[in-house]
Amino acid sequence: MLYQRLFLVVLLVVYAVLAVATMGYEAAFSYEPVGPRAFPLLLLILLAAGTVYLIIRPGHMAEENADTPLTKHVLGKLVLCVLSLSLFAFFFEKLGFVVSSFLFAIAMCRLYNGGWVTSVITGAVMSVAFYVLFDRLLDVPLPLGVLSGLGS
Amino acid sequence: METLGYLGQGFGVATTPLNLFTALCGTLIGTVVGLLPGLGPINGVALLIPIAFALGLPPETSLILLAAVYLGCEYGGRISSILLNIPGEASAVMTALDGHPLARQGKAGIALSISAAGSFTGGLIATIGVTIFAPLLATWAVAFGPAEYFVMMVFAITCLAGMAGNKPMKTAVASLIGLMLACVGIDSNSGVYRFTFGSLGLSDGIQFVVLVLGLFSISEILVLLERTYYGQAALKTSGRMMFNMKEAMFIKWTILRSGVVGFFMGILPGAGATMASAVAYMSEKRMATRDNRFGDGDLRGLAAPETANSAAACGSMVPMLTLGVPGSGTTAVMLGALTLYNITPGPMLFQNQPEIVWGLIASLFIANVMLVVMNIPLIRVFTKILAVPYWALVPGIAIVTAIGVYGVHATTFDLFLMIVIGVVGYILRKFDFPLSAVLLGFILGGIMEQNLRRALSISNGDLSILWSSPITWGGWALVALMVLLPMYRGWRQRRTRMPASP
Repeated sequence: MLYQRLFLVVLLVVYAVLAVATMGYEAAFSYEPVGPRAFPLLLLILLAAGTVYLIIRPGHMAEENADTPLTKHVLGKLVLCVLSLSLFAFFFEKLGFVVSSFLFAIAMCRLYNGGWVTSVITGAVMSVAFYVLFDRLLDVPLPLGVLSGLGS
Repeated sequence: METLGYLGQGFGVATTPLNLFTALCGTLIGTVVGLLPGLGPINGVALLIPIAFALGLPPETSLILLAAVYLGCEYGGRISSILLNIPGEASAVMTALDGHPLARQGKAGIALSISAAGSFTGGLIATIGVTIFAPLLATWAVAFGPAEYFVMMVFAITCLAGMAGNKPMKTAVASLIGLMLACVGIDSNSGVYRFTFGSLGLSDGIQFVVLVLGLFSISEILVLLERTYYGQAALKTSGRMMFNMKEAMFIKWTILRSGVVGFFMGILPGAGATMASAVAYMSEKRMATRDNRFGDGDLRGLAAPETANSAAACGSMVPMLTLGVPGSGTTAVMLGALTLYNITPGPMLFQNQPEIVWGLIASLFIANVMLVVMNIPLIRVFTKILAVPYWALVPGIAIVTAIGVYGVHATTFDLFLMIVIGVVGYILRKFDFPLSAVLLGFILGGIMEQNLRRALSISNGDLSILWSSPITWGGWALVALMVLLPMYRGWRQRRTRMPASP
């Protein structure tokens, strides 16, 4: 309950920042009565009202949270997961799809309780298979990165 | 009669070999995706949009693909909720209530075949309903001006919140967040950059695919990570796979009633399959005699939500096609897909591109037949798929998601944006904010603002245009009803706070 209120307060701060930004939106010349400012401002007012209501009366929490409590251990894993996703995104173009997804798949596999050997195999199979499937068969261009010398 | 002629044409479109094959693949993919724990119709449809686009399918074919995937997912979702008690998405929660006890009693095969039969009948009833009501609504919808549209959108959002049961305010806030996200990017009327904070990647707004995959795939991956930590085990299926005549007779009225209820719930914008299955389950429970076994394996308790669920899945196509107002999270995704193809759903679609509309309706029917033909013999096989471990599943989902996002613009900025959205989505989910409301708000946001501004341009800034026609009066009345409904419910709950009735 406390965390939810905290989150809602953070949301309120975000609204405030956005509202300040909104005030600056002025059409250089306008042929319509409303302009770019009114609608977001209206939404922000409604959002703030709703959020304040929720801070006062938080309501029930999902039962889903009850049987999977967020312990430190789980939280650590979640952070690792987000970190590996971010690294994947960062190296996606730099190392190329095949290499980055190979490393990423190993990391994810390990996170989800896969063994080392299975992880490496899964990573290798997935990175190559998805590259062939999407880049070659489905025409979704994927970066080759460091392997660009090999492909043609 | 005219309608029947069009429907014939539609079947002509849907039964071309390519489209038939697409529908078959779609239902198969859909069932498998729906089956995998944690992946629902929204993920299935969203992951396929880039693929359908990449394959260069013609618009009607890819729409058929997406619709078939939708129905397939709705179907596959119940396999995991019956066997594992893991409802893949909200609309399968009611199925798990009676389906899982049946599976525990060793009647998993019967439960699955009943749910197949129920889904089929529900889908059939709703397809007939769509055929009758969609054209009616489309001719009527031509009378909709910008003001009327704006009121309809307000109705859709309040409907979502008002129907959401125990957390109307959270739903409302979630859909407002979605509306807000739709404002990001260059404002098409004035050319002002809004909320981009100087970032080039945000200048043409948050891409729809990025938002969907972030909200649903990434947050799902994080939720699955929690679940791996607290493991879950599968059940064995054994014994009879098919229900018998006596059981069929026992549930036939339940199925018919729930199909009709489901269809009409599906039409209501924002209500969708989740509400439909809940309402059907509750009303059947109320109608049953005192000696019912609802809650620990009553066949009616399984058949009712199943039937209503798939009837609503078809029914939600009606507002999407005729008004361009999606009836559920998944149709919101499909609406996004349509706009990728430069098709604007709405009344004009029926006149300008009848082959798309009627082809879709006909293929809904065909997809239903395929599902039932394919699924009953394959139940045994599908139950095996559930054994795919997370360590193989999750990296696959993550990589396909990343490809889908990267494929839109070929920038890594979108990947980072997706991760940020995913983390925020996960937090929202943890605090019990419905993510599909965010998505629906996002889809409606752009159209809503455009219509509001257009209406006010017509009236030269006079707000009274928003309540100047009978349609708008009706709309506002419905909005008022939807706002008052949860308040009344809360008031009644407080008055009769009894331990027995939840």
